Amino acid sequence: MGGRVSDSRINLDSRISVGSHTMTKTSDQVIHIDLPSSTHFVYVIDAIISEIVSDMGFDKEESEQINLAVIEAAVNAIKHGNNEDSSKRTRFEFILNREQLTVVVEDQGAGFNRENVENPLDPSNLLKSSGRGIFLMETCMDSVTYEASGRIVRMVKSKSSVT
Amino acid sequence: MNINTRQKEGVTVLDIEGRIIGSESVALKNIIAEEIGGAETGDVKMLLNMKHVQAMDSSGLGIVIAAYTSVQRRGGRIALLNVGGNINSLIVISKLFTIFDRYDDEEEAIQSFQEER
Repeated sequence: MGGRVSDSRINLDSRISVGSHTMTKTSDQVIHIDLPSSTHFVYVIDAIISEIVSDMGFDKEESEQINLAVIEAAVNAIKHGNNEDSSKRTRFEFILNREQLTVVVEDQGAGFNRENVENPLDPSNLLKSSGRGIFLMETCMDSVTYEASGRIVRMVKSKSSVT
Repeated sequence: MNINTRQKEGVTVLDIEGRIIGSESVALKNIIAEEIGGAETGDVKMLLNMKHVQAMDSSGLGIVIAAYTSVQRRGGRIALLNVGGNINSLIVISKLFTIFDRYDDEEEAIQSFQEER
């Protein structure tokens, strides 16, 4: 008969489901995550993507790249897309198959124009403390595309060796 | 993430442990700000020991960059110790390898601060 538990992790209002998807091949496994928009919950995505890349057999370097790209996409969606408005949701879709992983991140913000994002490698931007998220996503993944005016980011990484 | 602060030969060493991602990086930001704020101009000598840091995102990197610029403005210095492979990659692809002094040996890192003066 314990007292009230105030740990926010216990009260996490997230939804996770695993199943098939009408837009994917029948061999694909699809995992959906739906989180409130707080950077506090990035640890949830960090833990899940770590398990997914391990389960899929990506090598260490690929795993670290995917992990970083997904965290960057999550932070972007939560912080810049949804402005950390906890009433807005941040949705993740992980599409797994033998050859590759596709990660789709969707926020409920106003979107953004990729062309307006400055190059963080420009000497005048090197010492800026922010603005590297998109660059890191695009560097770490094989492809990154933007849909719905930037509210949806789709990232793909193929395994270097398929067993 | 856990951060332990210790002094060694006039250098503030921050032993960082865990994953510097998302909101976790705020703790690092606060501790660095506290150390910089408490020091007199030019007195900041800080070594970030990242031996037990498994991952860092651009937010974490941004905090280290902000600390670097803030300390440099005051005439002090920040260096990195035991930077792991994935964090080193992050620094390299972000073209920051010429900015941060990195060491694999603590004694050598501490000594580098003494040689400056």
